[in-house]
Amino acid sequence: MRISLSGIGRVVSTLLFLWVLTGFAAAGQTVDLDSLFRQAGDLQSEGNLQGAVETLVKVPPPAPGQDGEPFVRSRMQMARIQFSLKELDKAQATCRQVLALYPDNSEAKNFLASIEQERKSRLGAFIDDCLRFLPVLLKGALMTLLLVLCTMLISPLGGLFIALGRISHFRPLTAFCWLVIWLFRGTPLLLQLFFIYYGLPALGITFRPFTAAVIGLGLNYSAYLGEIIRGAIQSVDHGQMEAAKALGMTYRQAMRRIIIPQTYKRLMPPIGNEFIALIKDTALVSTIAMVELMRSADQMFNTYFNITALILAAIIYLVFTTVFTFIFEKIEYRAGIYEHR
Amino acid sequence: MNTAKQPLLELVGITKRFKQLTAVNGVNLVVNPGEKLVIIGPSGSGKSTLLRAVNFLEQIDDGIIRFEGREVGYLRKHGKLHLDRQQVICGLRAEIGMVFQHFHLFPHMTVLANVMEGPLTVQKKGQRAAQEIALEMLGKVGLLDKKEVYPATLSGGQKQRVAIARALAMKPKLMLFDEPTSALDPELVGEVFDTIHALADEGMTMVIVTHHMGFARELADRVIFMEAGSFVVEETPADFFSDQLGNERIRAFLNRLI
Repeated sequence: MRISLSGIGRVVSTLLFLWVLTGFAAAGQTVDLDSLFRQAGDLQSEGNLQGAVETLVKVPPPAPGQDGEPFVRSRMQMARIQFSLKELDKAQATCRQVLALYPDNSEAKNFLASIEQERKSRLGAFIDDCLRFLPVLLKGALMTLLLVLCTMLISPLGGLFIALGRISHFRPLTAFCWLVIWLFRGTPLLLQLFFIYYGLPALGITFRPFTAAVIGLGLNYSAYLGEIIRGAIQSVDHGQMEAAKALGMTYRQAMRRIIIPQTYKRLMPPIGNEFIALIKDTALVSTIAMVELMRSADQMFNTYFNITALILAAIIYLVFTTVFTFIFEKIEYRAGIYEHR
Repeated sequence: MNTAKQPLLELVGITKRFKQLTAVNGVNLVVNPGEKLVIIGPSGSGKSTLLRAVNFLEQIDDGIIRFEGREVGYLRKHGKLHLDRQQVICGLRAEIGMVFQHFHLFPHMTVLANVMEGPLTVQKKGQRAAQEIALEMLGKVGLLDKKEVYPATLSGGQKQRVAIARALAMKPKLMLFDEPTSALDPELVGEVFDTIHALADEGMTMVIVTHHMGFARELADRVIFMEAGSFVVEETPADFFSDQLGNERIRAFLNRLI
């Protein structure tokens, strides 16, 4: 093994040596500059701009005492091509190559300035794009927010119902709640939305897109929150229920006054998680004819082929999730205030 | 009806089984108004289970519970006992105060709110009336200055005194104490003992399950020694602690404690 490895090493080093040698030889050769320029011109007129740049870059920097004109010409032509390719960084770098050798070259200086100008107008174009997309996106975002808020209102109530059903001693209710969780946690939300919006009409039940979306999201998140709430209720010390009962409270009173209020703090982190996921899951309802943030961004992107729309949508989602995270942290702190000594 | 002569609580043949184990085995007990009973015995002897059965926190398998002369809490169907309707059970519990070994204060409520909770939620008293009662009870256990704090900031002894005030706020006819000092640091036992002692001096009827012999010696009218689900001995403290008592097991138990 060792022998073969060192054998390979030897072959590689030999090849390297040869490569370096030929490199020096090539440098020593005088390049036929005229033919290079001609070749580049041909490629450029054929529309092969990349090829033209690759040809021009072969023009070497002048040796000391040599005429620098061909080098400067080649680089400026390169910079122009790069500029037309919108490769502003590369064009700038090429101009700087010239300025490095000839700091006073006015052509390179001027071109550099105009690249800078172009850069600024690009920012302007970005701002223009933003102004163009934002109204549409914000309208979509408003719908997303509405969906999120509706689901946030429905799912904790649904979740609480499912949780209480799961821990009740009334068998049919327990079974029903188990079934709901099994069904809605076990199938994709996308499928559920499709089923409600496209599937149910076949059975004669038709919903408007918004209603279908809220039903789908509401049921799905109720199922998830149901398990979270059940866990939180069951994690409250059993003695609390006994103490409440010993005072003479009914099961309902004990739950409402004693047990459930003690779950708020421990509910906040997982529920916050779910709601953050919810904000992003609303994007799925764009598939059932809902025009919300994702759908708006998609439309803008497809109309203008402009990724600014997607970037802006991402930023709006981030703003939503950030604000909600912040709010949940505050609520969690307040909910647990009694634990602070 | 003259209730003065009538026992407050009467247990007849109370039996409670947990799967194979018979925790309470046909226990009979009469508690007269104003009486203070102390139940002692090794752990696992069924003392706590019996006490909890009085409050329906444990459902008995057989027996009769009479409260103020009425048979209460269970309906007999096909020879099996079924717990009565929730409303009935809650009504009974409201008349019986219970204090737990681990206090079980409501951590999300202030001390005052803890004591107000019973009158407010169970007895549906107004905010003002409930607060008045709560303040009175907190005064009784000497914790008025702690009314605005949350239980997390209290010592064990203070927590137990709040728990006693919380039970008292319901104006119960009977108080059950389930090892009220067992979870306390030794130096905190005294304050809780004194609180219960003061309550006894007021004439409250109480049944205390404890390992603390002070209760048996100083405030019991009768001491009950329980073992393996049955009462072994039911005596006055004087007799119970005298060496004349010819029960080897009790003497062994007491010797182990001392």
